[in-house]
Amino acid sequence: MMVIRLYEGNSQLNDDTVMDVVIDIQNIRKSYLLGDMEVPILHGINLLVKKGEFVAIMGPSGSGKSTLMNMIGCLDRPTDGNVMLMGKDTRSISDNDLAELRGFEIGFVFQNFNLIPRLSAYENVLLPTYSNSKVNLDNEERARDLLETVGLGDRLDHKPTELSGGQRQRVAIARSLINDPSLILADEPTGNLDTKTSTEVMDIFSSLHKGGCTIVMITHDPEMEKYADRVVHIRDGYIENN
Amino acid sequence: MLGLKHSIRFALGSIWSAKMRSSLTTLGIIIGVAAVIANVSLGASFSEFFEDEIGSVGNNFIVIESNTPHTFHDNELELVKNTPGIVGVSPLTQETGGVRYMSEVRQIPVQGVSDDYGQVANIQMGSGSFIDDNDGYVAVLGYDVAYDKFDRKIANKNSIEITFVKSDGSTVTETFRVKGITQSKETKLVESGIEPEGRIFIPVKVMSELLGDDYYWGFFAAAESIETIDEVSDEVDKRLARNLGIPMRDLDEEDIKPYSIFDQGEVLENMNQVSGALGTLLTSVAFISLVVGSIGIMNIMLVTVTERTSEIGIMKSLGFKNYEVLSLFIVESMVVGLLGGILGTLFGLGGAYLVNNLMGLPHVFPLELIFIGMFVSLFVGLVAGVYPANKAAKMNPVDALRHE
Ligand SMILES: Nc1ncnc2c1ncn2[C@@H]1O[C@H](COP(=O)(O)OP(=O)(O)OP(=O)(O)O)[C@@H](O)[C@H]1O
Ligand SMILES: [Mg+2]
Repeated sequence: MMVIRLYEGNSQLNDDTVMDVVIDIQNIRKSYLLGDMEVPILHGINLLVKKGEFVAIMGPSGSGKSTLMNMIGCLDRPTDGNVMLMGKDTRSISDNDLAELRGFEIGFVFQNFNLIPRLSAYENVLLPTYSNSKVNLDNEERARDLLETVGLGDRLDHKPTELSGGQRQRVAIARSLINDPSLILADEPTGNLDTKTSTEVMDIFSSLHKGGCTIVMITHDPEMEKYADRVVHIRDGYIENN
Repeated sequence: MLGLKHSIRFALGSIWSAKMRSSLTTLGIIIGVAAVIANVSLGASFSEFFEDEIGSVGNNFIVIESNTPHTFHDNELELVKNTPGIVGVSPLTQETGGVRYMSEVRQIPVQGVSDDYGQVANIQMGSGSFIDDNDGYVAVLGYDVAYDKFDRKIANKNSIEITFVKSDGSTVTETFRVKGITQSKETKLVESGIEPEGRIFIPVKVMSELLGDDYYWGFFAAAESIETIDEVSDEVDKRLARNLGIPMRDLDEEDIKPYSIFDQGEVLENMNQVSGALGTLLTSVAFISLVVGSIGIMNIMLVTVTERTSEIGIMKSLGFKNYEVLSLFIVESMVVGLLGGILGTLFGLGGAYLVNNLMGLPHVFPLELIFIGMFVSLFVGLVAGVYPANKAAKMNPVDALRHE
């Protein structure tokens, strides 16, 4: 187990460790506007995730887990505070460059798979490379290899509707890996799956983790805690110190 | 960076996944483009048809008609003949004659012409030959005169008797040998007013002599080429006016001049004006259907964008930039337009082909039509796609993902 480290305020890390920090969230707040009312959801969150860590985020429904993950994944910007990814200050990065950062550095896995229904498994995995493609990777071969790795080597041409929930999620995982990202963000990846397929999916995450992947996973299921290096608990927009 | 190849494949996949809707959408464009293509093609067919028609009337003709007798004499004939650019001229006289063949008599317009007339008026002979300058009492009959007017058909080398009433009221009758008969005429849309079918031509010298007149009713001249015909006819006009003592400033006053002049170019121009007006009307109809078609595309693209909101969220989460999402939807809209354009072009050409066949028009399919069809439909797709695509591109990824 790696050190669970929650810290307040700016980090005092030395240069060696800065290289190893994938996520450095500094006191972020997020509020939504409901009509004229500003509803605060996140109230100053700090979180540090190092390279190779597998962090589980747990908390009751509505506590702001997905909201936090959207901030980490640069799908949304915090109302206040800073999200540092791979040492980059995302406040100074344009939306288009953030999209590129997502495309190259972050792989998303969602509860409802979020596959494009009319594309085959193979095309879904390949899709991110249409926009962001690393020159040193053979995308098509890699897409096939990844599907092979998640046990879908014989399902390349199946549409999502022709796959089971567990299979769909495995396609989504393969897709998240296509650009060899620095970070995998999974929002309740097993939320729609039964126990058996959940275990299969978690085994994939586990082996990714063993292979050196940095993973942040949101989950409701205490069963999943055992896969993570550490667990961060969120309640009402605060990180709970345990 | 999102390439065009992937955009197009993506668009085709999306269009294919909603076949019914896509085909209904393209229908609007198909109709619009088909209308444009058919119009342009028919317009081209019409003008070629008109040009052929007018061309068959004569070879770059310039017609000069006097409004009062005793205006034109040999002097003016020489003048016209010597105008640069004139390659042939025939004087004209005309009078209705009582024509007798066997025991029947018919009233028929008779024209006195010289041998240039055959060439200038592009007279095609069915049998025999046209009048030449050494001829005496010979006549060339229009096809209808020879075969329709009289109960018995007139053949070459038959004799007819023509009686003229002179200006002093006395009559003169002479026998003419038939020297030639013109070809039967094709059915035509355009009547030039100088068709030879219902007329009889005799040498102008003979006719003047019989009538005891020394003036011509007008001239029928030919210019070198259709390109220079306007200049040549202006020059003829000027020379005649000067000769007749008409001030230059009155050159365009048709009421003051004792003659009028018109040429084949003007006739063509008038025809083009008519077909141009027709074209404008048809084009506006086509334009309206294109507008309706593009509204159809825009409407369907808006539905598509709403329907695919979560897909847009997915794409953005996968790293697609705003302008890439924008281009994806614009490409899709343009592909819908282009598909409509291809089908519309085919239908338009097919429609024009059918109409040409029905109306006996020549088949003219300018190659540009295909480019016009493609370009118009791509443009319509582009215009119709901009707003929906922009809407898609501007979506907040989180809200889009949340959308169910
Ligand atoms: N776009 C939005 N506008 C307004 N309120 C929002 C918006 N997005 C989220 N919220 C609110 O923020 C709060 C946290 O939402 P969030 O989705 O982060 O919860 P969560 O912890 O992921 O819950 P769950 O476990 O059910 O997924 C909720 O109360 C939600 O209503
Ligand atoms: Mg959530």
